[in-house]
Amino acid sequence: MAVNSMTRPGPGRSRPGRGGLARRALDSEQFNGWAFVTPGVAVILLFGAVPIVWSAVMSFQKSSLGSSTPFVGLVNYRTLVHDPVVSQAIQHTLIYTALFVPGTMVVGLFLAVAMNRKIRFISVYRTAAYATMAISAISEAIVFIWLFDPSYGVVNFFFSKVGLPQQQFLNSPSEALYVIVAMTIWGWTGFAVVVYLAALQGVPRSLLEAAAIDGAGPWRTFRRVTLPLLSPATLFLAVWLTINALQLFDEVYLSTQGGPLNATTVLVYYLYEQAFEQFNFGYASAIAYFLFLIIIVVTALQFWLSRRYTFYRS
Amino acid sequence: MAIARHHRRGTLALLLAALTAAGATLAGCGTDAQSGTGSGGPVTIQIWDGYQSAEATAFSHLVSEYEAAHPGVKISSLYVNNDDTLQKVLTAVKGGSTPDIAYLYGSWAPQVAEIPQVVNLTQVVKQSSVNWNDFYVGERDVATVNGKVIGIPALVDNLAVVYNKKLFQAAGLPLPGANWTWSDFVADAAKLTDAAKKQYGTAYVTPGTEDTVWHWEALLWEAGGSLLTADNKQAAFDSAAGLESLQTLRTMAVTDKSMYLDPTDETYQNLFNSGKLGMLVTGPWDLSSFPNVDYGVQVMPSYPGSSAGHQTISGPDNWVVFNNGSGQVSAAEQFLTWLTAAPQVKYFSMQTGDLPTRASVASAAGFDSDMDKQLTGVSTFIDNLSNVKQARPQIPQYSQVSTVLGNMIVSVLLGKSTPQAALAAAASQVNSDLAGS
Repeated sequence: MAVNSMTRPGPGRSRPGRGGLARRALDSEQFNGWAFVTPGVAVILLFGAVPIVWSAVMSFQKSSLGSSTPFVGLVNYRTLVHDPVVSQAIQHTLIYTALFVPGTMVVGLFLAVAMNRKIRFISVYRTAAYATMAISAISEAIVFIWLFDPSYGVVNFFFSKVGLPQQQFLNSPSEALYVIVAMTIWGWTGFAVVVYLAALQGVPRSLLEAAAIDGAGPWRTFRRVTLPLLSPATLFLAVWLTINALQLFDEVYLSTQGGPLNATTVLVYYLYEQAFEQFNFGYASAIAYFLFLIIIVVTALQFWLSRRYTFYRS
Repeated sequence: MAIARHHRRGTLALLLAALTAAGATLAGCGTDAQSGTGSGGPVTIQIWDGYQSAEATAFSHLVSEYEAAHPGVKISSLYVNNDDTLQKVLTAVKGGSTPDIAYLYGSWAPQVAEIPQVVNLTQVVKQSSVNWNDFYVGERDVATVNGKVIGIPALVDNLAVVYNKKLFQAAGLPLPGANWTWSDFVADAAKLTDAAKKQYGTAYVTPGTEDTVWHWEALLWEAGGSLLTADNKQAAFDSAAGLESLQTLRTMAVTDKSMYLDPTDETYQNLFNSGKLGMLVTGPWDLSSFPNVDYGVQVMPSYPGSSAGHQTISGPDNWVVFNNGSGQVSAAEQFLTWLTAAPQVKYFSMQTGDLPTRASVASAAGFDSDMDKQLTGVSTFIDNLSNVKQARPQIPQYSQVSTVLGNMIVSVLLGKSTPQAALAAAASQVNSDLAGS
């Protein structure tokens, strides 16, 4: 904007009449502003807003491979309510979210506290903790498939060493989802660590010292001072991880493909199957909007709860 | 090699799916392929294929040969991951920018037939120069939907048993013979299993997808059963043959524990190549993944009580032509009939190790042994093409049926359900799916 105000003629030297409206429009700051944001806005509209609206329209249509896609009203949504796989998928999605979100936050907080001190090679540890975020989901999935392989996996090997029974893991409908929970907690821990570490650096030393002078032990200081001061970070992580958990797809697609016997079919995976394997784009869009609704409700709930429990320093 | 063909997942599929979805909205901006070329002028044929490495080299050699012989014609080929081609074609159809020719999986044929832009090739393949009956019956069945020919066979394969010779010798077992039965297979699998060495007699892919299903369909047919009734209106697999075939799998997976269950659909390759599996029911595309094993190949075992004998299942893929104006269509048809004629089929097989799509090529003197020099064991797969006697039902609901069957098979293999109960439940689900649409 600085450039603009320099080239714009000052009030004393304005030449009314020359150039007229168009000239003034071109010279205005507003125009320059729009000129700068238009490419970005266009891309967002094209790849963000248009598909969102488009899939809303599609959710009211019957898909067909030909060119005609007749409107069918609420049929897709009605099918969804009665589809047993959808109710299974909701159940799996919620169980997964309920385990993954707190799990990632607890492990992340523990590591962040452990690394929030001046020791040798601390930056190596911090980098190592964040590395899990930099590893692609496909490598992660392959590693975990082998770790949890019933016959050749390291996990079962350790189980046999300590006398625990051998497990079927990804081959067992009752265990596969938990393997995916473990896999994704591992993958997201680095993210939680970074957020918590940053928040921990923001905890004022004076408060911790005051607590110590008042006779609080380390655990009490942590519970009563540090943890409340971390609550904005906790809220952010809770919301962010929940939104991601509800949209779980990659790890399922790469490891179990929804199996065995639909045990790991979560909503987005089912949506993918319907859209790109069965080519029911209309039905898949309806599932997507249903998921959108769930995410809005859960997020609103989290914000409402957090208003009571989050502490912001002014 | 035709690797990663059957419902295998591309690593980038998610990204591609997202891009395709976005692409659907952008389709209006797509390039216009309908360059209405008049006769005589230069023609460019757009072709989407999934060829890589040896296949890509052989294909581009054939293309340049064709271009040299037809100066007015240019072939422009675009690599598309085979798993995604139907999605992309559907997007292109909506945007009016379809290619002239696309390589599409045979299992998609019923859906492909519903696309209005797909050219009916029934008259083309009737030309005597095409010699349609030279293509294997399994290929012709898959290229034909409700009497309409929607494609020309591009690739063919089938399932046979690949076995580890060393493990057979170590277990003191004779190598599988051409007349072996499923009870031989089950007994061998038990003897090849060694829990201490973490060694299994065989493996089965259990992601519950079509890859799980078609392995079982071959058993069903061998036991004398069929999937649906002749009119494709009702399930027919809840039969004695269905029971026998599932019982065979159950004995190995549950009773003998001689079968490694692979939900990833990939691990089995490494295990076989590491000498941990005695036998594997698989197709020729896997052979190049087993460089560390001295393997042999034998046809699928049979059921002695059944008259169906040794059968197998084939997953042929098709070249499909899309309508971009009559000039483009006739140029595309001419190119395809040339590409799929015997000399070109022979050249392509010799260069790539892919099975020949034409019987006349397979039966030519010396062809088998020449192919075996390229890739050990491939000749058995070539001979096994004559055991392809049936095709999957050519109905649009097949993908739904396949999902039900996948769950049925996995529930039996995991011991969650008896074969009887699984068959009955799946049959009633299939019946309601077939009645529903």
